[in-house]
Amino acid sequence: MPALFFPRRYPPLLRVVVLILLTVFVSVSSEKHPNIGNVSLTIAYPVQWISMQGARLWRQTDHYLQSRAALESENVRLRAELVRAQPKLLEADILRDENRQLLALLDSIPHPPGKVAVAQIIAQNFAPGSQLLVANLGTRAGVFVGQPVLAAGGVAGQVVRVSPESSQVALLSDLDSSIPVKPAGSDTPLLVDGTGNLDSLAVPFQPRNTPLKVGDKLVTSGLGGRYPAGLNVGTISAVVHNGDQPFARIAVRPAVHLGRLDTVLMLWDSPTSQPAAVP
Amino acid sequence: MIAVVVVLGFFFALTAEAIPCGPFYALLHPDFVALLLLYWAISSASELSFTVVWLIGLLQDMVLGDVLGAQAIAGVVMIYLLYTGIARVRSLASWEQLFFIFMLLLAHRLLVWSWQAWAGTITWHFSLLLGPLIGALLWPLFTLTLDYLRHALRLNHT
Repeated sequence: MPALFFPRRYPPLLRVVVLILLTVFVSVSSEKHPNIGNVSLTIAYPVQWISMQGARLWRQTDHYLQSRAALESENVRLRAELVRAQPKLLEADILRDENRQLLALLDSIPHPPGKVAVAQIIAQNFAPGSQLLVANLGTRAGVFVGQPVLAAGGVAGQVVRVSPESSQVALLSDLDSSIPVKPAGSDTPLLVDGTGNLDSLAVPFQPRNTPLKVGDKLVTSGLGGRYPAGLNVGTISAVVHNGDQPFARIAVRPAVHLGRLDTVLMLWDSPTSQPAAVP
Repeated sequence: MIAVVVVLGFFFALTAEAIPCGPFYALLHPDFVALLLLYWAISSASELSFTVVWLIGLLQDMVLGDVLGAQAIAGVVMIYLLYTGIARVRSLASWEQLFFIFMLLLAHRLLVWSWQAWAGTITWHFSLLLGPLIGALLWPLFTLTLDYLRHALRLNHT
């Protein structure tokens, strides 16, 4: 390989030191300017696209190798699930009508129905701390930074970077992630923070005599305006009152199986948060 | 011809880094790009350019979507460390190189970790040591496969 940019006449140590200084510059500027992240996502897209094809091939072989018996039992299970879900759907229809009437009585504007788009996951980066996925919808499909991302079960995370063809999603379990929630059926505002662990989130800053208990469901509160209210986030799985700690340690099991996502739903909540470019 | 094979190799190593196969794969897979860098540095007669190593690392950072520069600097330092003892490493059989490879991959992983920890995107966990360990254990198989491929394609040393 030829020596690019760098003449070989300089000693190796000097070349390494210059590259270290250059790396510091690149790292610091990429942290400061979010646009650099969006550009690097664009550059990475071809590699990620190929990696998705690899994953798809893997999944197809997996399906192919599944036995007939396993497929039949899965079919039976799904049918049973459908039968159970049918009455709930009917109930939801009735409730929606009722809600519309009540809102009309209150002279309040009815909540406009949201739009969703299905996106495929094309790349992952799971490390202790950062839990990032890349989905194959980008600004060209109207995806924007801060957009809520859902999956079967509830909230999965939010968009943190976008390129024309892809977007990077930080899962709820990412260390930098935090989402405003409330217990279902109550109005106490709470936060759920990512811990870097896929199966466990945390509710910070709750006093030791907190009324929260194991089994409580948490839903989005709608505060902050990023996530619409009432989406499933998770269930409290442990409340530890430790004598020498100022706060209770509360663990939350996410409603979505965050490690096993292959498709996600991008959610446009209302026309106000939807950019004009949406087809 | 050799350039095409090298570029294709790194391209597939990069896709293998990001392939969405769930958390277990993420935990256990070795850093294929680092392994490939070590392979070419040991087996090619001319020296790798640090700038090229740096650019490959930067591309890996972009594909993983983490803080830019972590893989780049780790790759450069790893190859620099390798070149300080290159004559000794080359004189060993591939299974004897295993220990050196483990130390280099470990240094690589720790550098990536410290760079990301500095940016605040990672916490410490002992599972971080599994990648280098598995990478080193795969090293003899990895070199044998690539040597065989190079022989089959009649690629000479450069």
